[in-house]
Amino acid sequence: MHPFTYTRVDDVEAASAAVTTDAVSRAVQGPDDTVFIAGGTTQLDLMRDGVWSPGTLVDVSRLPLADVELDEDTLVVGAAVTMADLARHEAVADLDVLRDSLLLAASPQLRSMATVGGNVLQRTRCRYFRDPEVTQCNKRRPGSGCAAIEGTARTHAVLGVDAGCIAVHASDLAVALVTLDARVRLHGPDGGRTIPVADLHVRADVDPARDNVLAAGELVTHLEIPVPDARTGYLKVRDRASYEFALTSAAVVARVEDGILAHVAVGLGGVGSVPWRATRAEEVLRGQRASLALFEQAAAAELADAFTVPGTDFKPELARRTLVRQLRDVTEVTA
Amino acid sequence: MTTTTNAPAGTATPVLGAGVTRVDGPLKVTGAVPYADDLAPRDALVGVLVGSTIAAGQISLVDASDALAAPGVVAVISHHDAPSVVRPNEASADERAPRPPFQDATVRFHGDHVAMVVAQTREEAVHAATLLHVSYDVSEPVVDLNDPRATREDDDPAGADSTRGDLERGLAEADVVVAADYVTGDNTNNPIGLFAACAEWDGESLHMWATTQWPSNTADCLAEAWGVPREDVRVECPYLGGGFGSGLRPWPYIHAAAIAAKVVGRPVRVVLSRPQMFTDVGHRPETVQHVRLGARRDGTLTAVEHTATIPVAVDDDNPENVVSGTRQGYAVEHLRADVDQVRLHISPPGSMRAPGEAQGNFALETALDELAVELDIDPVRLRLHNDATTNPDQDDLPWSSKALDQCLRRGAELIGWDDRDPAPRSMRDGDQLIGYGVAAVSFFYFQQPCTVRVVVRRDGTAAVHCAAMDIGTGTYTVVTQVAAERLGLGLGDVEVVLGDSSLPPSPPAGGSGLATAISNAVALAVTAVLDDLDLSGAPGRDALSRAVGARDEVAAEATAEPPDPAEMGMSPSGAFGAKFARVRVDADLGLVRVERLVSVIDCGQVLNERTARSQVIGGAVGGIGHALLEHTVTDLHAGPQTGRITNAHMADYLIAVNADVPDLEVEFVGGPDRLNPVGVKGVGEVGLCGVAAAIGNAVFHATGRRVRRLPITPDLLL
Ligand SMILES: Cc1cc2nc3c(=O)[nH]c(=O)nc-3n(C[C@H](O)[C@H](O)[C@H](O)COP(=O)(O)OP(=O)(O)OC[C@H]3O[C@@H](n4cnc5c(N)ncnc54)[C@H](O)[C@@H]3O)c2cc1C
Ligand code: SF4
Repeated sequence: MHPFTYTRVDDVEAASAAVTTDAVSRAVQGPDDTVFIAGGTTQLDLMRDGVWSPGTLVDVSRLPLADVELDEDTLVVGAAVTMADLARHEAVADLDVLRDSLLLAASPQLRSMATVGGNVLQRTRCRYFRDPEVTQCNKRRPGSGCAAIEGTARTHAVLGVDAGCIAVHASDLAVALVTLDARVRLHGPDGGRTIPVADLHVRADVDPARDNVLAAGELVTHLEIPVPDARTGYLKVRDRASYEFALTSAAVVARVEDGILAHVAVGLGGVGSVPWRATRAEEVLRGQRASLALFEQAAAAELADAFTVPGTDFKPELARRTLVRQLRDVTEVTA
Repeated sequence: MTTTTNAPAGTATPVLGAGVTRVDGPLKVTGAVPYADDLAPRDALVGVLVGSTIAAGQISLVDASDALAAPGVVAVISHHDAPSVVRPNEASADERAPRPPFQDATVRFHGDHVAMVVAQTREEAVHAATLLHVSYDVSEPVVDLNDPRATREDDDPAGADSTRGDLERGLAEADVVVAADYVTGDNTNNPIGLFAACAEWDGESLHMWATTQWPSNTADCLAEAWGVPREDVRVECPYLGGGFGSGLRPWPYIHAAAIAAKVVGRPVRVVLSRPQMFTDVGHRPETVQHVRLGARRDGTLTAVEHTATIPVAVDDDNPENVVSGTRQGYAVEHLRADVDQVRLHISPPGSMRAPGEAQGNFALETALDELAVELDIDPVRLRLHNDATTNPDQDDLPWSSKALDQCLRRGAELIGWDDRDPAPRSMRDGDQLIGYGVAAVSFFYFQQPCTVRVVVRRDGTAAVHCAAMDIGTGTYTVVTQVAAERLGLGLGDVEVVLGDSSLPPSPPAGGSGLATAISNAVALAVTAVLDDLDLSGAPGRDALSRAVGARDEVAAEATAEPPDPAEMGMSPSGAFGAKFARVRVDADLGLVRVERLVSVIDCGQVLNERTARSQVIGGAVGGIGHALLEHTVTDLHAGPQTGRITNAHMADYLIAVNADVPDLEVEFVGGPDRLNPVGVKGVGEVGLCGVAAAIGNAVFHATGRRVRRLPITPDLLL
């Protein structure tokens, strides 16, 4: 690990002012960069692996951003709330998709350290990205190629990717958030703005070297999560029964009225370069009579243009099945 | 040196077999256990190893100028400036010790040590290591077992190869022949305790605190390496945080600490990082195996062929016998077993819990399941029908003990074998397909001499001294029990001192051999000391104290030697076992979850029900990982191969977690083994073997899909 300076700030203004480069949005950080650290479970990992070497860390984990409030039908969650605290908060007790996206993530130890702000900004688990020894990585070294394409790519993405980079965005929470139409409140040197979580990340087929759209000094202060009038659920598929990222996952929000899908939102995890909102599947589903055949059709539509490499060959099929299963379970459709 | 003191003193009740709690339990749960690294001198400098980024070639330049200028750095050591050290056991045909580092410019695998940075603190050393500039002349490596350029050696590792009868004849006599290829992935031991070594020189005397499963041998090897008398080398390792075979050999990092301490003239400690644990201390090699079985309609095996190809490092030996269980497992007249090794530019493979047998058992016991299906015979019955009541691999001598039939019968009873519907893909609960699978295990016998000293003190208490290592299996506890029982003492009256090469020499804590060796050595040494004490009546604390009289203490040493089977007229048995698994497989998603896992074990005299059970449980957990999760992946991406491991990280190398492990059911059957006075057989490795095959066979029963590859992951079942 490279030497670095650590500072802690007391208020949001000071945090924004401290960070003058856009490193929090870039895939790489160097000695001239000042960046935020919250729980550190992504930030320090990447520094230990020698991928990142920021000069200064500004600790935002103790900013007064640790509250969870219900404002009408919207949950407002401070960025410094830990995954563990949000998961056990009464406000999410019936919001299965959100609660389970948290409880099925990482381990109890990590969830107690990790913040929800840090979670949505976590970086890809691609082991080629995470090993500075690997020279071919368009994310770390634009133009150098992508070692994963013909390498070990079992955990890589098939949507929002091309031959330039197939890195997955591995957050479970973020998949639930995009499916719930959640927004992030940002605070920057020029004031604040609120954007949909769906607009926060940058797809690998757009620019692998940039992970999100945060401007220099922009801090995530809150998540705004509309609580839907619908049933929800999150299904995570992985080799190990616990403590593993998703091979595939599906977030479903649905309300069936008289057999018709009156409201439906779908997200996919483990397959997208960004937390994936399955809009094509939604188009097939919306307003239609819920049935297994319809679900199959919707899932197929979403994955029709998947970009696969030998290591990810199985993923579209597994993702389709995951989505069909979760649509079935949330809607309780039997045929 | 560490001692254990135990609870209730003064009571002399029979303790053998009883599930007494671990004598070192309180130390462990309170964090007071001194691991090797805890004993290192506090003023030791820290050495960090720098691994090569290529798999084969020559180091052309080590530019240390930036690293040396970094804060805290004391030295950078490479082949340019390291003292020469002899490779221990160099002359051996098949058991050379690992090559000490920094002796030449050759790179033999990715992660091979090219240099070492020594600094005041670990952080400084780690940082300086990133400032080291190493250049290479790269050669084209061979890192893939299937690469036709690899050197194949028909080298019969560990005397694995065997031919019995006439295979072709056996196949001709068969009504049914099944044949298939099986592949098992590379696994890494990954004990949670990172391995560490600290060296301190006092003139020509070397004192080391090092993670090892074999202090005696580590000291032997260091003495040979440095050309110093054996008594001038002392290796201490009273405890380690897991080994699973990775601590059996004197690995380069141990030499690195000694080399660095010599160079800087101060104690130096080296702690491996997690990624280094994947390349520095061995791993279970992948295998490609072929099994062909011939049988008559009634299930009688007429022919067994089992061949295996496994990788070995370009400049190392790994006598890994993939076919040992096949040779002795079943009564079959015609057999061919053959293991070839292929030399690759990979980090040296080594022992990982049940080396060879873990992989070989998967192939054989899966093939037997395939045969049972082909013959339409119950898989349990097929195994019972072919049970070898004498050892076909050793002149058909009668076994010193064998209760495999009981293991199979009892296991079937426990899991409810006969209540299942035997047809594949016939049992279902909602989305979940349910399946049952069985596998049998005939674990090999391994013994080496072990010497123990028993000391009886004036107050009638006793101490047992041996260089042997307790790798967390309960050696301290069972040694305490055996000594206490034979001396008529309470557990609290016996002090056991282990893990120090300056004590009487012992075999490794490996090969499931130590409990047998050391318990019999203790028994012999107790007899010797009672002889010296002239004690004919019942011992006990008062009698012992009276016999010692005015002396401070009376001590005796004894060595337990492995008996000669021919002379004994019997074939020495290892442990036997039967594993039964019940799995649930999601019909759409391919997720396999183990719902029940029953292990019935014949390990001779159970020394301690509790620690023996723990061994089997731990083995079963490792077996679940072997079956479904664990896989060390070497990068084979296009372009120049680097041999780099892509998942050398605990987040990416999946070991079983609690959620993967059901309540594990364990029972012991059989009785004391006839070969040794205490009647023990080892239980360390039989627990893992057979689990993968039982799970794989259960997956077949659940789904009708035969997966001949480990690990069995959802993508293989879609
Ligand atoms: C072994 C392991 C397993 C894991 N498994 C899962 C899993 O199954 N599912 C899952 O979803 N996640 C998983 N994770 C990821 C984990 O959830 C994230 O690392 C964690 O949520 C990040 O939160 P943090 O507070 O530690 O962020 P940090 O590591 O402190 O920060 C992460 C990034 O966000 C930036 N940042 C942090 N807070 C803010 C803020 N308020 N405003 C702007 N920028 C900010 C930092 O600069 C940094 O770039 C796993 C992680 C590990 C190490
Ligand atoms: S997938 Fe993306 S992050 Fe991974 S190696 Fe390729 S370019 Fe780099």
